[in-house]
Amino acid sequence: MVNGQAGKINPKFREFNYGLSSGKVCLITDAGRRQFHYNKSNEMREHAILLTIFLVAATAISLFFFFIYRSSLPEDGKGMVNAGKKRLFFALILASVLIILLTVTLPKSPYFLFADETPAKVVYVAARQYSYTMSYQAIDPKSAGRSDTIELPVNQPVEFRVTSFDVNHGFSIYNDRAELVTQTQAMPGYVNRLRWVFTEPGTYNVLCLEYCGVGHPIMRTSFTVK
Amino acid sequence: MITRSLKRITSVWIITVLVLFVTAIIFGITMRFNQGKDLTMSPVGFYSLMTTHGITMIGIWAAAGLVAVNYLLGRYVKVSVSLNVFAFVTTVIGVLMIWATTFIGKYHAGWTFLYPLPLQVAWAKWATPVFLFGLGILGAGWLIWSVGMLLQILSKYSLKQAFAWQHFSKNPAVETPPLVLISTVSLIGIIVSLLTAVILLVLYFLEYFSGGNFTNDPLLMKNLTYFFGHTIANESLYLGLAAVYELMPESSGRPRFKTTWYVALAWNCTLVFILTAFFHHLYMDFVQPVGFQMIGQLASYFASLPAAAVTAFSVIALVYRGRIRWSLTNTLFFIGIMGWLIGGIGAVIDATVSNNMILHNTLWVPAHFHTYNAMGNVLFCLAFFNWVAHEFAGTQASVKSFRLTTVLLLIGGFGFVLMFYLGGAYSMPRRFSVYPQEFTHAAILASLGAWFATVYLVAIVLIFANIIKKCLKVFSPSFSS
Repeated sequence: MVNGQAGKINPKFREFNYGLSSGKVCLITDAGRRQFHYNKSNEMREHAILLTIFLVAATAISLFFFFIYRSSLPEDGKGMVNAGKKRLFFALILASVLIILLTVTLPKSPYFLFADETPAKVVYVAARQYSYTMSYQAIDPKSAGRSDTIELPVNQPVEFRVTSFDVNHGFSIYNDRAELVTQTQAMPGYVNRLRWVFTEPGTYNVLCLEYCGVGHPIMRTSFTVK
Repeated sequence: MITRSLKRITSVWIITVLVLFVTAIIFGITMRFNQGKDLTMSPVGFYSLMTTHGITMIGIWAAAGLVAVNYLLGRYVKVSVSLNVFAFVTTVIGVLMIWATTFIGKYHAGWTFLYPLPLQVAWAKWATPVFLFGLGILGAGWLIWSVGMLLQILSKYSLKQAFAWQHFSKNPAVETPPLVLISTVSLIGIIVSLLTAVILLVLYFLEYFSGGNFTNDPLLMKNLTYFFGHTIANESLYLGLAAVYELMPESSGRPRFKTTWYVALAWNCTLVFILTAFFHHLYMDFVQPVGFQMIGQLASYFASLPAAAVTAFSVIALVYRGRIRWSLTNTLFFIGIMGWLIGGIGAVIDATVSNNMILHNTLWVPAHFHTYNAMGNVLFCLAFFNWVAHEFAGTQASVKSFRLTTVLLLIGGFGFVLMFYLGGAYSMPRRFSVYPQEFTHAAILASLGAWFATVYLVAIVLIFANIIKKCLKVFSPSFSS
């Protein structure tokens, strides 16, 4: 199983052959490791929930400010009564909400996902301006360019070992409905390990979400989940 | 002491900032129309414009905050006009150098110049060093100016008083005005971020001139870049808030805000949170130590507590049933606080690691930062500009003439950012010059965003027209300070 050491490999990133030799490369720390079954078949629902939360909160703030504005107009206004108590009450409510949200969301961080599971497949990914190489074998930067046809199993953990041979890129996985499923960065000199369980079969597209130069929007690849 | 020369250099800054703001908005609208396929630009043209738009916007609103604080500090401490003029000169030189690299040299590594992209030269060879030098000159000017302002504060207040620590005990002998406290906190943040930029630029130049013998660490460079970029962008907003604390009560006919124990606590905490929240920019870099990622979310969450419970609540308590005399100045402050909170909600959603996995570098990112900038900090600074322009002209702000402006600002500003939020929720990537076919709504959202931004631009031009004549009065021979 992976250990908890830092993920740096070789600062002279144009010369390394990653992932095979050291076993040092890892994002997952032993601390906080947990069994975590994460069903990601509802990406659209998650996006919709976040948008709804935002729009409801933004509308509530706007209406509240309109109400405050309207209250300021009458000539007989006497200001806020017990402002100190109201402020304290508001601060306590807000702090409680923040603590609850932290408690709920932090364990869902990608650093802890599938940490105790052994990946069924490992895929090596090397990004460069403006293409990806994906392979079941570690990729030698000197001969990079030939990709394998990647087929991954559904409902089983897989691991992507992602790096870059030039600048920072993104490795962002979209389902066939163009919904962002998960992502990591492709950073020169480092390998980011992304573990995931695909719960839907189909074709997945990979796009670059880190601006990398003029070909940024055309940089893409794909793989299949069966 | 606010002298005539301080008024004149402030006026020059205001006109410069507004001219550059209008220009940079047009750049932004052009980019959105290109994404909407309403016009066609070359990819190089798009990304050169994107780089110019980003660096100009970040620069002018950081400068505007410094200008506001410099002017208002003149009420409490002796301020240096020479340093102000020096910073203006370095800013003009820096901006001209940077614009030359993007427009002539076609430099297009983005305003964040994320390592090692600027060194992968895909533009005129001279553009990379000139861009970095230009940034260095601009930053050096601001660094010296900011240190000067901080020293001016410390020449009257001790460090503890500048941080308002005496307000933690009952009946403090000295009152630290909120403006001084917030300026201290924000200037320290600005100074630290600019010093980081210096380190970053030195590391860039070491590699650039080493002939391949020295290579930087990409993770370290990424941390330094986002520490600098995040901190300066956020501290700019806090400089704007300093103006809110100072001028919102005054322009509303209400008693001025006073520093209390919770105001002091809030702003001291803010300094800590703001210097550690930048880690949220690296959530998707899994090699970053997990502890830093956790700190990123904690700091991002708890930064909202003093912001909402102290600053926003104070403004709300001031306005609620407050018989407010509304003018353009306090209306902009009020809407700005609202925009800041709404942008803050978008930011907190994105700063949650588990959400960031599906929002990072989508259009949700420009959505939230445009909200708290275009509908937050920009409005704080415009409110200051409007207030100070009336002070220059010796006039009172009109009550009725700003209604059209306000309506255009609200419709244009919030409509513009809503298109970004929808794009983010539809997983659309940011910084795409054109969108692939699978993002079926991207073009229409971009077009609508551009039209809403045009409405916002009209509001800005109206405000500009209202301000400029008054600002020019300080150059009249008959002007009396």
